[in-house]
Amino acid sequence: MNTAGVNFNWGLIWENRAILLKGLGTAIVVSITALVLSLAIGLVLALARMSSKRIISLLATTYVNIFRGIPALVSVIWVYFGWSLLFGYNFTVFEAGVIALTLLYSAFFCEIYRAALVAVPKGQREAGLALGITRLRIFRSVIIPQATKIAIPNIGSMYIGMVKDTSTFAVIGLVEVVRVTQNLNSVNFQPFVLYTAAAVLYVVLAFIVDYIFRAIEKNLSSPPSGSLAKVLSKRQNERIMALIGKSSK
Amino acid sequence: MSKRLKTNDYSEHSNGTDDEILLELREVYKSFGTNEVLHGVDLTVRKGQHVVIFGPSGSGKSTMLRSINLLEEPDCGSIKILGTEYGPGLKNEPQEKRGKPLELRRYVGMVFQQFNLFPHLTALHNIALPLRATRKLSLKDSEERAAAELESVGLLPWAGSFPSQLSGGQQQRVAIARALSLDPKIMLFDEPTSALDPELVGEVLAVMRKLAQTGMTMVVVTHEMNFAREIGDLNVFMEDGNVVATGNRDFFDNCPNERAQRFIGSVL
Repeated sequence: MNTAGVNFNWGLIWENRAILLKGLGTAIVVSITALVLSLAIGLVLALARMSSKRIISLLATTYVNIFRGIPALVSVIWVYFGWSLLFGYNFTVFEAGVIALTLLYSAFFCEIYRAALVAVPKGQREAGLALGITRLRIFRSVIIPQATKIAIPNIGSMYIGMVKDTSTFAVIGLVEVVRVTQNLNSVNFQPFVLYTAAAVLYVVLAFIVDYIFRAIEKNLSSPPSGSLAKVLSKRQNERIMALIGKSSK
Repeated sequence: MSKRLKTNDYSEHSNGTDDEILLELREVYKSFGTNEVLHGVDLTVRKGQHVVIFGPSGSGKSTMLRSINLLEEPDCGSIKILGTEYGPGLKNEPQEKRGKPLELRRYVGMVFQQFNLFPHLTALHNIALPLRATRKLSLKDSEERAAAELESVGLLPWAGSFPSQLSGGQQQRVAIARALSLDPKIMLFDEPTSALDPELVGEVLAVMRKLAQTGMTMVVVTHEMNFAREIGDLNVFMEDGNVVATGNRDFFDNCPNERAQRFIGSVL
């Protein structure tokens, strides 16, 4: 192809498919590790923010407002170079990426979880208490499942944001999609072709993530629907059918 | 267990003549902010008795009921169940050793106006979860027990249904079965039919009637005056945070209190 005297070598993408996909794999591993950590920390932060102890709630609120406002690029440089300078501790690029993302996204997940926890009707907790169930068990078996269902669509959107933010970790040398693209470009001088490839990879991943989160959402709806639910609730349904059948005989 | 609702032995238990006091509220006060909604109410419930609490909206009926299992913690007052003190205690009296709310709630079942079933669980697991959580039953045992409880309210075929797939009447029957599965000594009903379409009220009252016939001790807040007249051994009329009048079975026909009489007249 020749447009305005520029040659586009689209074949480059196929030639380098392995290394591009490996970059995507790195982005996925970093972001999923950070997702798991951020969800756990975000939930703890949400509970802290909702705490009746003012000091605890104030600390959590301050954390959220600080880290929600920091761009990923700044966060990762601060973690990777800052810690090294301040404390003499050197994180690997992988660790720095995970920590940088977790710092930011635990703040977002705090807010998502808080909204979801508030949305679970008060009667649910009261029913649990009236049945003599401990507060911890009510939280685990009654509140969290319902809050998670409410939070899942937002968590999915946030996760797509996390994947995109891994692109900034190219600056510390994490060999993710953008870093791979930069490396290939420095040899081949085909920025348009290579960055188009990078964009397509992110978009395809976003579609896949959306699909997965919608499957999870369907499985969490009451009654669960979709093929994931069919597999997961198969044994429970069989047991229930057996109990219904037993008595009708 | 599942046989519980199948007895027809009404006469023997319905009078509440058994002397054993199950529940005693004394001088229970409760305020929300600066608004005092209970001005020191008393209530004594004997084993097998069916107590009906009625009165206009905002009279403190639900608050009194909810203070029995400490869902509403009273500001002061004594709540004694099976001889154990659970409430904050009387004004100016030495504090007795008191039981934990968690223990109290294992003797006291409660049914809510809005059913409060767990929407993410099947009818069966709405009952099985509390059994597992409080009785440490295995999954299998809890499911079997739950199935038996569902059968006793006629809902076993709906065991795999989620609350959103059940009618209001069916949901309330599951909620009653859930409370009964934990073998409570006393059952509290907080306007159990108020959120139901009129044609669904009957099925819930039928389950409650059968429960009453088995001798279960019940405290019912209700606007269903005909039902109250039918089961009420002890009828309590409340107004403005006070117990204004109480009476036994002939309360509705020979009401001693003029205000209560007018209220009964207006709703019957």
